[in-house]
Amino acid sequence: MNPLTLSLVLTTMISGTLIVMTSSHWFMTWVGFEMNMLAIIPLLTKEHNPRSTEAATKYFLTQATASMLLMMAAITNLLYTGHWSIMKLINPTASTMMTMALTMKLGLSPFHFWVPEVTQGIPLMSGLILLTWQKLAPLSVLYMIMPLINTNLLLTMSLMSIAIGGWGGLNQTQLRKIMAYSSIAHMGWMMAILTYNPTMTLLNLYLYIPMTITTFMLLMLSSATTTTSLSHMWNKLPLITMLILITMLSLGGLPPLTGFLPKWAIIQEMTKNNNILLPTLMTLLALLNLYFYTRITYTTSLTMFPTMNNMKIKWQFKNLKQTMQLPLMITISTLILPLAPIMMILE
Amino acid sequence: MLKIIIPTIMLIPLTWLSKSNMVWINSTIYSLVISMVCLPLMNQFCDNSLNLSMLFFSDSLSTPLLMLTTWLLPLMIIASQYHMNKESLARKKLYITMMILLQIFLIMTFSATELIMFYILFEATLVPTLIIITRWGGQTERLNAGIYFLFYTLAGSLPLLVALVYTQTTLGSLNMLLIQYLAEPTVHIWGDSLLWLAFMLAFMVKMPLYGLHLWLPKAHVEAPIAGSMVLAAILLKLGGYGMLRITAMLNPTINFMMYPFMMLSLWGMVMTSSICLRQTDLKSLIAYSSVSHMALVIMAILIQTPWSFMGATALMVAHGLTSSLLFCLANSNYERTHSRTMILARGLQTILPLMTAWWLLASLTNLALPPSINLIGELFVTVSMFSWSNFSIILLGINIVITALYTLYMLITTQRGKYTYHIHNIKPSYTRENTLMLLHLAPLLLLMIKPKIILGTMY
Repeated sequence: MNPLTLSLVLTTMISGTLIVMTSSHWFMTWVGFEMNMLAIIPLLTKEHNPRSTEAATKYFLTQATASMLLMMAAITNLLYTGHWSIMKLINPTASTMMTMALTMKLGLSPFHFWVPEVTQGIPLMSGLILLTWQKLAPLSVLYMIMPLINTNLLLTMSLMSIAIGGWGGLNQTQLRKIMAYSSIAHMGWMMAILTYNPTMTLLNLYLYIPMTITTFMLLMLSSATTTTSLSHMWNKLPLITMLILITMLSLGGLPPLTGFLPKWAIIQEMTKNNNILLPTLMTLLALLNLYFYTRITYTTSLTMFPTMNNMKIKWQFKNLKQTMQLPLMITISTLILPLAPIMMILE
Repeated sequence: MLKIIIPTIMLIPLTWLSKSNMVWINSTIYSLVISMVCLPLMNQFCDNSLNLSMLFFSDSLSTPLLMLTTWLLPLMIIASQYHMNKESLARKKLYITMMILLQIFLIMTFSATELIMFYILFEATLVPTLIIITRWGGQTERLNAGIYFLFYTLAGSLPLLVALVYTQTTLGSLNMLLIQYLAEPTVHIWGDSLLWLAFMLAFMVKMPLYGLHLWLPKAHVEAPIAGSMVLAAILLKLGGYGMLRITAMLNPTINFMMYPFMMLSLWGMVMTSSICLRQTDLKSLIAYSSVSHMALVIMAILIQTPWSFMGATALMVAHGLTSSLLFCLANSNYERTHSRTMILARGLQTILPLMTAWWLLASLTNLALPPSINLIGELFVTVSMFSWSNFSIILLGINIVITALYTLYMLITTQRGKYTYHIHNIKPSYTRENTLMLLHLAPLLLLMIKPKIILGTMY
């Protein structure tokens, strides 16, 4: 993309999110969301093919609907309370509508249908931005209106998301769809704890974003978009296969890797609030997620040459892609469980 | 405890920086040295534990298991030398690194003070084991075996996490030394039964209990020799160790919740022993015998008498050494014939007489011949089971007989009788293999002299 255009688009996208995060008037929140959405559309259609156009259209439609719902909720609140202030979304109708609007933006169940299809149609870099940066704005608004959200609604949505994120990813071989379902499941975990202790939502977000960035960076190194192309990696970049193994296990939430920390913290906060059956269900459903991550590692690293991989050997080109940030990201995504007491600074 | 953990962590740079002809030697020697460093821990108080720091402690229950763990690492490395011969240097080092990583987690698990730390490390042992089984196993079935292993254990232990966190918020602390005083028996509500199940199922799956044992034959059979050794010797004992620690908290629910598991164990013990009589696969036979022995341990822990706890601990240590020894012997057959079928390598006494001696001793300890420590374990368990219920002696007696039957079947099929016609392919025993068997047998036979070490906290 033309560097000038790219910088313009990125600036708009970033400032859109920042406007959402720093606003105290519902109108500015809406403006920020719209700026963000319009700016990211060119990024989604970087490759000019019909699939990207379809993905961008689906993204636009859902996000525009959600923004309109957000505006409707704000105006309903205005009708009943007479002000536009974000912190005082007191009317339950407005609060429910706002929750639904924001969860539609996040891709939480039952509004998750757009996430796999949009993620699949766009290049890996845009997918990365979609699954990480775009979550920041809605989550910040949810964090701000947290006391007024209906817990039952949110818990239902999050349990459904974890279930759908688990079961939906089981039949996938396309890596971008797998990451999309992973995002749905992780959003479910984040939303479950929002009304109890939103600090843990933020913790989960702060750890989910590095893990997703790491995964996408590893995929971008060999431009792998399907499980099949990942299985060629043993020949070209053998060290990366090992890193994919531990990153996937970390995403799945296996101790002693980082991905376990948000799950542990969320379970702890929920049991402190006497909610015991739900975390049990959530963790058991997270096992489904772990299954398809493990399956990826099977074709990638655990069945390396010479015992067996049916994959043909590809022509080995010199690897010119930069891997500069990769060691730091890998370390963050897999090794910081012993640093769990640092969570105290989030209090 | 750091004097054991830090050297074990340092084994990893040792492996990666060794020259190609020194890799096996270095790692074996230094892991043996570490197990020697572990020995002074045996110097235990008889009514208390060695509280070494805020995080780690060792008492008469964890010390024998810790010794078993550190003793087993050099043995695993010795056993793996043959099948790793053809791999590249980096792969050899990676394999040893996986074993060392597993060792680190196991040492920390057995010496953990806080139950949640125990849990995290308990789960952490799954990852290196999964990698060892799936990456270096022999047949395509190993993929399925790895998945079964991982998911059975995880599905059982995730409710344990929730239960532990819940108990921490209600009791205040999960320090193993404190919970025996903090947890008071109260009036029973049905939610207590669910909580009990959440606590126990994780360890039941790990042991394994008869109905939940499906992962074990797969994982043991498909794993390479080091994987089989560590699975049979240590990882199963993690379940027993966890149960022994947690039962301090579980009165009085355990008094009636134990009945289904007692029934499953009693029946499963006889069932799995009987299946051993019909096995053609040697490793599968040893795997099912592990299930049978561990069923005894489960029963002993559930009835919670002093004698049964002593028997459970002794049986765990004895079975660890015996089962690992049997797997090594089966592996020596596998290396020669590249098949696990028992009848393909029979009549070995005529060709490998020293190996027959090891087979004989292994079989004798497996069928709990007096005065071996296996007998001490089984005898204590049988006697305390008899005091719990007179009728259980029938099934226990049947099990002892069937154990003897399949062990002798295994011994006679592999060692006695006429040798096969493809016998000229079988190479003589390496010194390395004889060393391996002796290093397994020596503790087993020497512990006969002072079994107090392995009798655990109740002595």
